[in-house]
Amino acid sequence: MKAGRGSGSLSGALAPAPTSGLGAKPWARNLLAPQILIPGIAVLVGVALVASPFLATVVRSALAGAEGALAPSLRNFTTLFQDERFYSALGITAVTGLAATLLSCFFGLTLAWIVARTDTPGRSWFDTLNLVPFFLSPFVGAVSWTYLAAPHAGLLNNAISRYLAGPGDLLNIFSIGGVIWVLALFYTPYVYLFVIGPMRRMDPALEDAARVHGAGFLLTVRHVTAPLMLPALFSGALVVFVTSAGLFDVPLALASPRAIPTIPTTVYSLVQYPSDYGRAATIGVLVMAITVFFALAQRAYLSRRSYATVTGKGYRPRTVQLGRWRYATLALELFYVLSGVVLPMIALIFVSLSSLWTGWPAFAYMTLGNFDQVLFHHDLARRALVNSLIVAVLGATIGVLLGTLQSYYLQRGRSRLRTIMDSVLSLPLGIPGIILGLGFLILLIRTPLYATLWIILIAYIARFLPLATRGISAMLLAIGGDLEESARANGASWAQTVRVIVLPLIKPALVAAWLMLFVIFIRELGATILLYGQGTETISVAMVILGEQNFGQVAALAVVQTLMLVAAFMLFRLTRSSILES
Amino acid sequence: MTKLVEKLMVALALALFVQVAPAAEEPPALKAAAGPQKEQLRKLVAAAVKEGELSYWDVVLQPKTASIAIEAFRKHYGLPASFKVNYSLARSADLVTRVNQELQADRVTMDVVAIALLPFAHEKVKGGHIMRYDSPQYAAYRGVFEKGLGKEGYFAFNGAYLFVPMWDSSKLKFKGTSWKDLIGAVPEGRMSMGDAGNSVTYLATYMGLKTVLGVDYFKKVATMKPTFLVRSEQIANQIVTGQDQFAFSGMPTRAYQFNQRGAKLQFLLPKEGVVLLPQAIFILAKAPHPSAAKLWIDFILSEAGQKILVENEALISGRAGFVSPIPDYAPPIEKLNVIKIDWEKITADDQNKAKAEWLSIFKP
Repeated sequence: MKAGRGSGSLSGALAPAPTSGLGAKPWARNLLAPQILIPGIAVLVGVALVASPFLATVVRSALAGAEGALAPSLRNFTTLFQDERFYSALGITAVTGLAATLLSCFFGLTLAWIVARTDTPGRSWFDTLNLVPFFLSPFVGAVSWTYLAAPHAGLLNNAISRYLAGPGDLLNIFSIGGVIWVLALFYTPYVYLFVIGPMRRMDPALEDAARVHGAGFLLTVRHVTAPLMLPALFSGALVVFVTSAGLFDVPLALASPRAIPTIPTTVYSLVQYPSDYGRAATIGVLVMAITVFFALAQRAYLSRRSYATVTGKGYRPRTVQLGRWRYATLALELFYVLSGVVLPMIALIFVSLSSLWTGWPAFAYMTLGNFDQVLFHHDLARRALVNSLIVAVLGATIGVLLGTLQSYYLQRGRSRLRTIMDSVLSLPLGIPGIILGLGFLILLIRTPLYATLWIILIAYIARFLPLATRGISAMLLAIGGDLEESARANGASWAQTVRVIVLPLIKPALVAAWLMLFVIFIRELGATILLYGQGTETISVAMVILGEQNFGQVAALAVVQTLMLVAAFMLFRLTRSSILES
Repeated sequence: MTKLVEKLMVALALALFVQVAPAAEEPPALKAAAGPQKEQLRKLVAAAVKEGELSYWDVVLQPKTASIAIEAFRKHYGLPASFKVNYSLARSADLVTRVNQELQADRVTMDVVAIALLPFAHEKVKGGHIMRYDSPQYAAYRGVFEKGLGKEGYFAFNGAYLFVPMWDSSKLKFKGTSWKDLIGAVPEGRMSMGDAGNSVTYLATYMGLKTVLGVDYFKKVATMKPTFLVRSEQIANQIVTGQDQFAFSGMPTRAYQFNQRGAKLQFLLPKEGVVLLPQAIFILAKAPHPSAAKLWIDFILSEAGQKILVENEALISGRAGFVSPIPDYAPPIEKLNVIKIDWEKITADDQNKAKAEWLSIFKP
């Protein structure tokens, strides 16, 4: 990675054309050259998208008093630090985030090992199935689990009560445990993606050496395999912790109905009547500070990371013959896929086909009416579908465009600021969507952007642009700059070089980034919930609204959203651009 | 000669058509009006057509009911199909938040708001945020204004509702008649309750009930460890699925709607009385489509509008002379033992104190 960053030999390729602006000073000529100016503007846009809501939140947190008579004060901080409910929310958020991370790491690492290193039957199928939750909406997952494990009403509880004579409230999804469970199911693919690559590329000689020296299977795993996986696992864990702790969707569906406070739901309720924007902004500032800390920690950790054990030599590690144990690993795989995909989908389908959901499928209530309503008659659902598609298509396109230019700046630029810019541009990834949404609400409420689709689009791009930039950057880094240098040396302009050389080479990454953003924008809730207005509801917002009104219709809308996401997932696989590349 | 007769006949037919056509096209609202009122209404309709749309927010009307009302509204005033009514159903706290947000930012996008929170409506009238409009329909709402359930010139109510004990009669045999009969009716944790910590309408109900039942009664309710919910649909859903056996804050409207789909929800009008929650319907002073908003208010408060709301939402009408088509679910106000509350005197501070008290009792 460092080698790529240091490819200063591209200076020739990136040098501005000598003919441009003959009369201008050299620094001005440099700045106005398209290869500097255009990527530079994209980077500035990215920085503005990070800095503006951040500054708005900081400023609002330092203002107290009645709306209309606000004055600079630290009162928001002092009252927040004296509020027991804040500490309760903070503690629950930390516990759910940590526990979900640990459980995701267990599942992610084990499933990756099963797929990459063992002879478990059907492992190539599981390689795909393990990733399906990555593409699904966590909110839909949480709602589906309420149909499965609500006390006295969930399908699983009812099945336990009917067929096993067990208690009807054995499972209670409306609990801290429920939140952890659903978060873990949906974040397992993140860890899986982080570790599956290194797992596949691991040098088998290291494990062989351990065995030769008498180490058994477990000892080898403990002293060789696990330490080799540690950097990837730690990176994955950090990402899972930061994103799961900041996720609004799951606590909204599972914790709020039982008044269990978390930081994202607390921010949401502080904005609700009687609103306290000052305190909400104060929480936002604290969360952003924590995010910056974790981002710096990750960067520091990765900068020390050694790549020596996971090289690009293309090793094929030996498959572990599990014998009878392979049925245990198969059972674990089936358990994960059932819990993360199959059972939630079954529950959703049952509920979506019921005119009256009584907690158990009843043929007397079977109907397609819910689909008919949400697809053809329900104004909110229909406009939400249209809005989500508009935002996802437009947002993904703008995101890929800006991401490509930012990547070009980060990988091909000469500015000394690149490393800092890389860090700054990556920050939104760790900021919870609802905090970023709050920042944009404070910033833009008095502008014509308020309650329009544009404000949602801006928030989405601000939050998820780094994903596109990182994916495309990795591809740019991999292809090096020699071809571009040759093109420039042969008289091609920068625009020609980009069009003829760069874009065709990075096309798989562009497609992957576009699909990734599309999927995320279709299911995003946290950044939207404070920003939507009448007529600008998205699918996820419509599900939150409908979720309180009609089980059948929310399930039908969830099925429609899931089909859209599955279609994107299949496209993703068809484009040959693997998730690992992105 | 024949040609002349033909020409005369065509001219006669055309003249007849010209005479008849406008009368046939005249919408019911204009047909019913006469004199200067008719001219005024015609101008209002023309202005509404020019505005082209309307934004309406409510906390009760299901989208299906809203669609029926919107269609009837268009026909009533002869509005073109292109005239759009943007309808949103929100939680009461969410709606209050949005109204305040837009007022503070001075970026009003809402035209008409209906919310069962009279202190809020009074507060907005005092703040000059509600448009003064003397709807011709107010004549049928004199009784409402006299009872303090509306404010003439600013708002009447499009329908009222109640939060009362509710259960699924196919799963629970409950024979109580009093609020007090709820205590111990079901095991701990099997009863839901409206979350007054997060909903202003449940808070208003708590404030009203407290005046006749006392705080100690609620302490006893708290021992039943209720679960707290915000939406009335959610409360009904959880009874139907069996998650809860009983609802402290059930809504007859939802019983009516769920029972139409096959449920067996039953509710009780306790002898101590009920808190009537009238949905104040008003136009924001800076509404972007004021003419359309006035027409909407007139329509919703009319006999035709009330019929749609009562038939579909089981709301209790405040219109004089209106006969409820479903008296079991939406009885006339006179037949209810309504707990007296002076809504205009309730301040935001009173509400905050009541909320703090509720939170200290129930510790959700």
